[in-house]
Amino acid sequence: MDDLDDDLRRLFSDDRLELHVTPDATDSVVRGAARRRRRRTAVAGAFGVVALAGVGLGVTQLHLPNPEELAGPLLPIASSTTLTSPPSVTVSTFTSTATVTVDPPVKTGDVSSGKPNPGNTNKASSSNPPPPATPEAQPGRYGSLALGMPEAEALATGSLIEPSSPADPEGRCKAYATKSVPDTNAVIISPVKGIVRITLASYAKTPKNVGAGSTVDAVKTAYANATQSGSNVVVPMAATPKWSYIFESDGATVTTVRMRLADNDCATA
Amino acid sequence: MTAVLRLELAAESGGGRAETVGDFAEFVRMSMPGLLRYGHALTGNPHDASDLVQSVLEKVGSRWVSVQRKGDDPLAYVRRAMANTHISIWRRRRRESLVAEFPETGAVPPELSRLDNEPLWQALRELPPRQRAVIVLRYYENLSEAEIANALGISCGTVKSQSSKAMASLRTRLGKD
Repeated sequence: MDDLDDDLRRLFSDDRLELHVTPDATDSVVRGAARRRRRRTAVAGAFGVVALAGVGLGVTQLHLPNPEELAGPLLPIASSTTLTSPPSVTVSTFTSTATVTVDPPVKTGDVSSGKPNPGNTNKASSSNPPPPATPEAQPGRYGSLALGMPEAEALATGSLIEPSSPADPEGRCKAYATKSVPDTNAVIISPVKGIVRITLASYAKTPKNVGAGSTVDAVKTAYANATQSGSNVVVPMAATPKWSYIFESDGATVTTVRMRLADNDCATA
Repeated sequence: MTAVLRLELAAESGGGRAETVGDFAEFVRMSMPGLLRYGHALTGNPHDASDLVQSVLEKVGSRWVSVQRKGDDPLAYVRRAMANTHISIWRRRRRESLVAEFPETGAVPPELSRLDNEPLWQALRELPPRQRAVIVLRYYENLSEAEIANALGISCGTVKSQSSKAMASLRTRLGKD
């Protein structure tokens, strides 16, 4: 009796169950999800209600996947996380609605050059408007955490690793590591303002596809309103509440990306 | 229900779309290795594990806003969906590997072939999908009978009977009876 129990537990903890994740696995899934969403939206709301009912019932109503959807074209859509490819119009529509409205339009002519036009000085002959330095209205959320979220709510997400450590000399604000960022100051929470800092995981990218490992120039290209502050690049966001991306760098390459609440009362955040 | 739908549509049509997609992509990146491993245990082979994970994640991702709004742990939700999908609708065999790399021909990685040579792994493959799922939920996920019943939408009695049938089959196949 116990033998078989033990054998099953041993088998299911076997390293050989691990499978290698392909580099484009995430993109492939995100594209597939977008395809399904578009198809559903096109079909109309009634379909959505049925499928949502499936969600409400738990998981018993997952429908047989349409083979077409899985076999659909995976390659023609440009990867949304490939650093070298500029956002094509197709990608922009589903990775970032904000991108479409606040970015300088990336013309198809620019796409073939492999790099977004870094500035507006040589666009005299083009009809492109100069990049508006308008902050984006992207909400200050990362995973289950959001800037301004009270500590109790943040702890309830299960994303924070306890115990906390004091984040300022007075011990008012608290610092936490998160499940994706071992840095003990990954998240800083003010007793008054809630979460004032969130650090992105080292592999994470912003919706404009920059993150740790990106060049400072790439950040400035992605965000027209970026400003340099020491070795950091600061990109204000116009969301409510207001916040900024802080791209910490070694001077040339981004080392860490943090999100910081603008209305912030913790000295170290 | 319709209110939820409207909210979702509103969120999808607004600036929250980008954040939602980024958030889902992050979830996929973080959970993919564990889900593939779990799918491997559920299905018994890398191809089906890959297909199962991709299919369920795409469905969940296409409704990410409402899945998150439900407040459940999305990972637990996906894992339950995988178990159910495997049982109820996973009948197709596809050759293409979508999210897991796996050599199509020729040299099978030695570590994989060794797993294939495990008598218990082979015996598990012979189980009907629901019995196998019950075993995986119990011994891989360490769920109780009540939790398994809840996850699969079946009664505790069914969990018990499926479990004892599965264990009996495994013992027979392994010559342990």
